Amino acid sequence: MKRLLAPRTLFLSLGLLWLLAIWLSLALGPVSLPFVDTLRAGLRLLGAPIAGQGLEQAELIVGQIRLPRTLLGLLVGAVLALSGVAMQGLFRNPLADPGLVGVASGAALGAALAIVLGSGFGGLPEALAPYLLSLCAFLGGLGVTALVYRLGRHNGRTSVATMLLAGIALTALAGAGVGLFTYLADDATLRTLTFWNLGSLNGASYQRLWPLLLVVCVVALWLPRRAQALNALLLGESEARHLGVEVETLKRELVFCTALGVGAAVAAAGLIGFIGLVVPHLLRMLVGPDHRLLLPASLLAGGTLLLFADLVARLLLAPAELPIGIVTAFIGAPFFLFLLIKGRG
Amino acid sequence: MLQAQGVHVRRGSKQVLQAIDLSLHAGQVLGVLGPNGAGKSSLLGALCGELTPNQGQVLMQGLALAQWQGAARARALAVLPQVSSLDFSFSVEEVVGMGRLPHASGVQRDAEIIEQALYAADAQHLLGRSYLALSGGERQRVHLARVLAQLWPGAEGSVLLLDEPTSALDPLHQHTTLQAVREIAQRGTAVLVILHDLNLAARYCDCIVLLHEGRCHATGSPQQVLTPQALKTVFGIEVLVQAHPERGHPLIIAR
Amino acid sequence: MMRRPSVLIALCASLVFAAVAQAEPLPQRWVSAGGALSEWIAALGGEARLVGVDTTSQHPESLKALPSIGYQRQLSAEGILSLRPDVLVGTEEMGPPPVLAQVRQAGVRVELFSSKAELTAVDENLKHLGTLLGAEQRASTLASDYRQRIQALQAAIGQAKTHQQAPGVLLLVGHGGGKPMIAGQGTAGDWLVQQAGGRNLAEHDGYKNVSVESLAGLDPEVLVVSDRALTGDAAVQAMLKENPGLSASRAARDGRIVVVDPTLLVGGLGPRLPEVLQSLARAFYPQGNVSFKP
Repeated sequence: MKRLLAPRTLFLSLGLLWLLAIWLSLALGPVSLPFVDTLRAGLRLLGAPIAGQGLEQAELIVGQIRLPRTLLGLLVGAVLALSGVAMQGLFRNPLADPGLVGVASGAALGAALAIVLGSGFGGLPEALAPYLLSLCAFLGGLGVTALVYRLGRHNGRTSVATMLLAGIALTALAGAGVGLFTYLADDATLRTLTFWNLGSLNGASYQRLWPLLLVVCVVALWLPRRAQALNALLLGESEARHLGVEVETLKRELVFCTALGVGAAVAAAGLIGFIGLVVPHLLRMLVGPDHRLLLPASLLAGGTLLLFADLVARLLLAPAELPIGIVTAFIGAPFFLFLLIKGRG
Repeated sequence: MLQAQGVHVRRGSKQVLQAIDLSLHAGQVLGVLGPNGAGKSSLLGALCGELTPNQGQVLMQGLALAQWQGAARARALAVLPQVSSLDFSFSVEEVVGMGRLPHASGVQRDAEIIEQALYAADAQHLLGRSYLALSGGERQRVHLARVLAQLWPGAEGSVLLLDEPTSALDPLHQHTTLQAVREIAQRGTAVLVILHDLNLAARYCDCIVLLHEGRCHATGSPQQVLTPQALKTVFGIEVLVQAHPERGHPLIIAR
Repeated sequence: MMRRPSVLIALCASLVFAAVAQAEPLPQRWVSAGGALSEWIAALGGEARLVGVDTTSQHPESLKALPSIGYQRQLSAEGILSLRPDVLVGTEEMGPPPVLAQVRQAGVRVELFSSKAELTAVDENLKHLGTLLGAEQRASTLASDYRQRIQALQAAIGQAKTHQQAPGVLLLVGHGGGKPMIAGQGTAGDWLVQQAGGRNLAEHDGYKNVSVESLAGLDPEVLVVSDRALTGDAAVQAMLKENPGLSASRAARDGRIVVVDPTLLVGGLGPRLPEVLQSLARAFYPQGNVSFKP
């Protein structure tokens, strides 16, 4: 079958784009640094003994602000795209989205709880306070997804259709919860909540990267091992079972990976929509639906796309910053409509 | 190879199968006939483990079906469902290649098998096409190639269950498909096939089970089972049964 | 990593003010993330030093020409650094914290001020700003002047209260008049009303939408309208048009509707406040000669 791109060409171009995105993300920002300085600062960060005037400033901006932000973008983009692939596989629908199992709305509920009642958590260890929001978002996402999964189970089997409906119902319920917190919130808290809901890579720091890195490693190593099982699942659950796939285990793994991955991404960077939908879809058009190619390609392309979106977010209104969720939605929604219209024609 | 012993299956409040006893033998094609709602698909479901009998048991190679797990089971038992929904643009060879999932036979061997299975299903010309661009009949043949590839080349100990594999096919391909089924049976595979066309069943099956209201109405060779009386009882049609002028198998003609 | 902020600051400062050679020179390039703070900086004659402000800094009008660093709670480290500031000033609402840490790390002073609606906060903020701007004298004059005016006003209001009962007031924050939020207990709007001698009829906490029915039931004597989109008479007309229930109130019948600028309600007490309080108090006590002039 004629694909738009041969796998080798695809991975070569994706890899180059990935490197380009990393370089641009390190080299561009509201502070204009000469490219040479970015390079020298980068080399210094790697331990090369380079000295020069103004390099400290460059090293600070590249090393302490842009690099953690770039890494955060790569990880969040990658895990969102991978989760998108997992959900589209689970629901056997190319238009499925990680939001379907309630992970995003659960995380939003957790975050709203933390933002609005933040100071009300008495007796919380001091060291945990800065991570309260992330922790609540993560647990909220995990909790709601676990509930959706639990509701979908009956007689030892998981009904994807029931999960879908349970996901819709719990999303509505979580939305009502967020609404309630919004009502209780004062003006300033409301703004924080609004901004959190739009996502941002702003203020990334190395300490906060570690938990996410761990989660992304788990997801990125686990899902590709199940690539062929995912292919078989697209035929249908019983077909996959007849091909020797432990379907129930697979479904549990997919839901778990998504909850873990999206939960961690949302905890680190807020709600960033459309990456999980657009990236796998786009790549499927380029290389076809085989998960053995789709998963690693999504890993690369998710990070790349998010870094480009972040460049727009931080450069467009500099020195102010646009929430990245706005940028991804501006890219994602028209693309979604394009698919809709194209699918109809 | 595969045996059903006193199988009862209940769906909701309805008893869809009652006291079914049947065996599939190596190298034999067993046809299942019956009107709509007679329990044909339920029988297939019970035989492949999708439905759990509430009484009786299904054995494969003397071992309860539930004992068979994962890839080992998939190497011994392949199932072609009546309809497959696949909404992703896999290429034809990728779809057929999924049949090789339970095997670790290597890319090269798999590619050979995929080609041979496609050839057997008379779908070799579809190689390289997108699954989504195929017609219903072409898709059915691709899935047939997939289950053939799963058991390829077919050997004693393997079981193939087919649910109306000819439903979307033109007359020529109804024959090529059942011919392919015969060939894999000749190499030792035990085959069960659900059919609607009485004449196709008469021609290609070694043995026929006539289902009626969830029970086995008759079992035996086509000559034994396909009698005007039995067909009148089960299907409610008046027929003449004559011997095929060239091949000798029963030929059913509606009156 | 080497961090020598003083070197960087000295470098920048020496470019602008070559003559100044102090151990800790005054910050020359300022970024302000707080509406009231920006106003005070302008009042202290430091507007020329501002190189960037946040979205809450709307007064004086000329600040809008400066680069915007976005909303005070969602600052971007690199955005701020691109303005090469010596100091970032803001209230405790400024954030997020990791961004402030990064800004500090880059050698920029981050100075925090109180956004509490208290006179002591104004005193402290002015003193702090005065030191940073090298305008201590002017700051202390402004502070004592401010305190005097507010206290004089309080005295006049106290006087007026002996002749007239404190009027029931509602403060409505709207956008083109539609679906106004009522300033409840603990809000800056509530503080404003109280300080001007009014009695806030709203009993809920924070800013909330209130049904038309209960609005009519509260029957305020004076309405204070604060509209984000409209000013002056247009704001009043829009509010009455969109909320017919209000037209029946005593305030609307007697024409006792005052408009205040919504930017007054964020980020602590600013220099425009005494005038606004005076105009509110005059609306609350039309008989009394309420003024902060002794």
